[in-house]
Amino acid sequence: MAESPAFESPVVRSYEFSSGGPLMLTDASPTTKWLVRGEVGGAAAERLDAPFGSSRDAGGGALVLGSRPGEWIVLGPADAVASVVAGLDGLDSSEFLTALDWTHGRALFLVTGTDAPRMLEKVCSLDWSDAMTPDGAVASASVAKVTCDIARHDDDGTPAYMIFCDRSFGQYLFDALIDAGNEFGLSVGPAGP
Amino acid sequence: MTMSRLGAQPTEVIDRTAKLRFRWNGKRFDGFEGDTIASALAAAGEHVFSRSMKYHRPRGILTADYWDPNLLVQVGDDPNVRAGHRLLEAGMDVRPQNVWPSLHRDIKAANGLFGRFLTAGFYYKTFMRPAWLWPTYERVLATFAPGGKIDLDTPHRYHDKRYMHPDVVVAGAGPAGIEAALAAAAAGARVLLVEHEHAVGGHLRYSSSDSARAALAELRAALDASDVEVLTNSTVTGRYEDNWLGIVQRNHPIAVERLIKARAKVLVAAPGLIERPYVFSGNDRPGVITSGAARRLINLWGVKPGERAVVFTANSDGDAAAADLDRVGVEIAAIIDGRDQKRVSSAEGSSRALQAVVAGGNRIEADLLVVAAGWTAPTSLLNMAGDRPVHDPAAARFFPSDPPGNVLATGGLAGDGRIDELRAHGAATGRLAAQRAAAVAHRLQALTARARPVEGNEPAWAPDERTPLGRDPHPELYRSDTHGMVDLSEDVGSKDLVAAAREGYDSVELAKRYTTATMGPSQGKLETVNTVAAIAEARGETIAQVGTTVWRPPYAPLTLGALAGRVFEPVRVSSIHPWHEANGVSTILAGQWIRPDHYGDPAAEVRNVRTNVGLIDVTPLGKLDLRGPDIPKLLNLLYTNKWSKLPVGKVRYGMMCAEDGVVLDDGVTGRLAEDHYLMTTTSSGAGSVWEWVENWLQTERPDWKVHVTPVTTAYVSINVAGPKARELVGRVTEGVDLSPEAFPYMEVRLATVAGVAGCFMWRIGFTGELSFEIHAPSGHGLHVWEALMDAGQDLGVGPFGLEGQRIMRLEKGHFIVGQDTDGLTLGPSTGLGPLIKLDKDDFAGKPELAWAADRSLPMIVAIQTDDPNVVPEEAAQIVRGNTNEILGRITSARMSPTLGRSICLGQVEPELAAGGTKVTVLLASGERISATVMDHHAHFDPAGERLRG
Amino acid sequence: MLLVPCPNCGPRNSADLRYGGESHARPDPATATPQQWRGYLYLRDNPAGWLRENWYCRSGCRRWFALERNTATNEFRNPPAPGDKRGGKA
Repeated sequence: MAESPAFESPVVRSYEFSSGGPLMLTDASPTTKWLVRGEVGGAAAERLDAPFGSSRDAGGGALVLGSRPGEWIVLGPADAVASVVAGLDGLDSSEFLTALDWTHGRALFLVTGTDAPRMLEKVCSLDWSDAMTPDGAVASASVAKVTCDIARHDDDGTPAYMIFCDRSFGQYLFDALIDAGNEFGLSVGPAGP
Repeated sequence: MTMSRLGAQPTEVIDRTAKLRFRWNGKRFDGFEGDTIASALAAAGEHVFSRSMKYHRPRGILTADYWDPNLLVQVGDDPNVRAGHRLLEAGMDVRPQNVWPSLHRDIKAANGLFGRFLTAGFYYKTFMRPAWLWPTYERVLATFAPGGKIDLDTPHRYHDKRYMHPDVVVAGAGPAGIEAALAAAAAGARVLLVEHEHAVGGHLRYSSSDSARAALAELRAALDASDVEVLTNSTVTGRYEDNWLGIVQRNHPIAVERLIKARAKVLVAAPGLIERPYVFSGNDRPGVITSGAARRLINLWGVKPGERAVVFTANSDGDAAAADLDRVGVEIAAIIDGRDQKRVSSAEGSSRALQAVVAGGNRIEADLLVVAAGWTAPTSLLNMAGDRPVHDPAAARFFPSDPPGNVLATGGLAGDGRIDELRAHGAATGRLAAQRAAAVAHRLQALTARARPVEGNEPAWAPDERTPLGRDPHPELYRSDTHGMVDLSEDVGSKDLVAAAREGYDSVELAKRYTTATMGPSQGKLETVNTVAAIAEARGETIAQVGTTVWRPPYAPLTLGALAGRVFEPVRVSSIHPWHEANGVSTILAGQWIRPDHYGDPAAEVRNVRTNVGLIDVTPLGKLDLRGPDIPKLLNLLYTNKWSKLPVGKVRYGMMCAEDGVVLDDGVTGRLAEDHYLMTTTSSGAGSVWEWVENWLQTERPDWKVHVTPVTTAYVSINVAGPKARELVGRVTEGVDLSPEAFPYMEVRLATVAGVAGCFMWRIGFTGELSFEIHAPSGHGLHVWEALMDAGQDLGVGPFGLEGQRIMRLEKGHFIVGQDTDGLTLGPSTGLGPLIKLDKDDFAGKPELAWAADRSLPMIVAIQTDDPNVVPEEAAQIVRGNTNEILGRITSARMSPTLGRSICLGQVEPELAAGGTKVTVLLASGERISATVMDHHAHFDPAGERLRG
Repeated sequence: MLLVPCPNCGPRNSADLRYGGESHARPDPATATPQQWRGYLYLRDNPAGWLRENWYCRSGCRRWFALERNTATNEFRNPPAPGDKRGGKA
């Protein structure tokens, strides 16, 4: 993709940014995201090594999320993502394997902070306890009535969550998350991948 | 009765240094921090708080708690506030409800004079006929109905909502409930303890005995030191499948109320017992109160309930009330002991000079009659878990029978005992709850994909080895030798229930609905058992034989605000939305999408498209990315037409039918590469078509190699339409020859538009004009739109909205699925019969479509009114002549700016489907107009020359 | 709210799923009589007891699956094998 025009984020309202705080919400929508689909138990599954519900650091800042049975989201810096996806080429010619760039289709927000699980309880019916949703867990669920993919990827021991939704819901969901976080002193971080 | 404030009590919850000033009934009053509205008013000597629902009898304090039926008041704009529960706040404006013209001179109390006519079913019988008088009846009855006034301008307040997944929820923080919570937490469970009252402690709070006070202090200290999460002034309102609980939290710091949806692994029901009123003549007079009310007034709020009391007691709590009264200087005129077969027979006289009449005729002067006649077990949460509690006449109350293993009862619900016995039972219940919760947690974690792997085997399901609580004998006291009020909320007397039984409404469920007993604000907590007892008496049977009503959610009445919670109403917008907003758009909500409807003048937008060029943001158009070698097979299965030979670079229109042959969706699909297609659906069908496709691929054709990904919002979709569309698109597009020869109608190209690579562009046209539909990556969508707008200034480019597009598609006669079709419209009715290829092996709905091919079906046709200026309403009926025989209806109608006349689509019976047929359209005004069925669907450019240009 | 045992995600709130109704085999469209086809479209056994039915894990794994539910007690049994081995970062 030609990168000439700047990437427009789905979050278009302006917010007072804060660079730190006990509970942070950040728009990371421009992050490169690919959707890879293969066969359960196939060669790609083995290579990606992130079964449904789990995730794996694939090096170079790329993460592989086991988002559905036989489906993975690969995200991170564009070159690292590209290298993960390219690594699947020619694994097993009989496996039905596809990959598409989903960067423009999905908004991505990060929620970080000790109170993040309690904040998420206000918008999502999943059990956010460490036993049920540990660091590295991946799930899909309704968040403020929008179906989202969610991955927990702690930030140096602090609970941190990535929330992906259809881009067109981005502004709505961002505001719903701010509303949920208000009682915990949420601040909005500057956007960025 | 004359109530007044006592000196400081050791158990009181008021802060006498914090005086709160408020208004009641227009006058100024003072109370203390910690008072309820009712306790403050009682301390100030107020004794009438409301008028009863039907007879407008004066009513005073009965139970002095949440369930008190006589203490519903209006606080500011908040109606139906429970003054027995709501804490006093400075500046409150409290008013009585259901009184006219005033609390003390209520004109409607005249009902009391002819009250004998207001018997069971009175409203049903009296206000039933004639039906045409119902509006009048409703108006009259509304002024008599109870309930406060709703202020329609009340500001929207923050009603929060959250989910929780505690291991153990304990409903009720009496001694047993607290011990259960402590024991469960000590065993490692995450525990939520929910208390309906403002503080934990249950009946210990208003007990003046040393042992009770010591126990309460100990339990509070233990709770403070524990990890138990305690919610006071909160209620477990319902228990649903798999221990899904509704909990209303009323003490939240920032929200008015918070609705908690909790998935508890184990629920401990410890709601305690509710004191049951006794039925006798005059039992609803101010001055007749329960023993619990007397003890609460004295011990919690330091209120002396009267000067001279008669105490009717059948249990130790009544005895304790008598002792409390005596201790604070209330003269005990008499103690009537229900355990010795003695009964109070009636209460007579005025509220300030009550006479208690003892069975046998003895009259005792007093201003207070305290009644301790027994208990109602609020088994609601057990009922909701499927349990059917059983009545024990020896103990005069219901007990649990066999609740499911993840619902445990303790405290008064489970039996009687000393404080230490109740506490021990609670602790044993908490330990059992924690053990069972651990087993449930293990199972959930083992089954959940994302969860941390479990260690070890699932713990065994712990057997219930608790030492059961005993059952204290209690006389069965429901009704005395006179008739009185059973349901004080609804003004239903025992006589009404007997009458209902005599009229044949002798099952509880029928009598309840017929008389409305148990259906008022007390919701059966005070009156259910007495209702059952009255019917049992009328039938000459026992309570166990008659059975009881099943308590359903909610445990306590809920506000609508709590139920609504924070409303999540997702809306979606395209990346171009900021431009629309900056350019005077009028939006329309289509499904969840906020879409441009027009930018001021839809007719002008149509004319501009027909003469120059316009842009419409059609991003909500459903888009599915299809990849894999078996896509042609999939398309052949989903669409009615054939897809095996679609070359790369071509697009084709298709119609989808469901298995019943009814039109499901339509759209175009283009082949972008050998194994890569882009399917479009209607905007409203995007989600359902995706699920439909997944269903076919996953369940019927799992061996096919096709991956489907929804990319609706990965791309913005911009339709560039009008005679100058090619000129405009050419100015910003690289790498594609746009000439009609190189890029004809119904083809697709990959292009770079305004410097954005990876755009798909296809030539189709819903408007009937030369059109290029550009699908650009969403993160650059606004850029592409603005580039087109900039590049086309000299061409007269302008935006057009959904309304303009609707007009133009109607001019072209294109139907919209769901607008011009309905749930019965079979594929051939659209006029697209030739696109239904019955020679294909299989496709969705094929058998029905094959059978339909032999029948005459209603048809979608273009219709023009003979008077070109009349635009019929959409859904106006097409009828036979002057009759009301329906032969069809108008499905779409607009004034066409292009043709300068009214144009329509409609569905008509087969007999009217031929071009030239005259039809009669019945307008909403009742006027009948004539109209003509057209030869073609297209009112404009039927040959389609413009769009192919 | 019922917990539905999704074979992939684990137990999920029924609101996370779409109920697909009774499981019925699709008749061969080439040979189906109108009676057979309309039975497939419209006729349901609706027993008070064990019923094989379809669910779509709409907010979760987006997989259709069939299992048995006792309509009188809401017990589930015989879910299919999961479509992926289960994970969770240890």
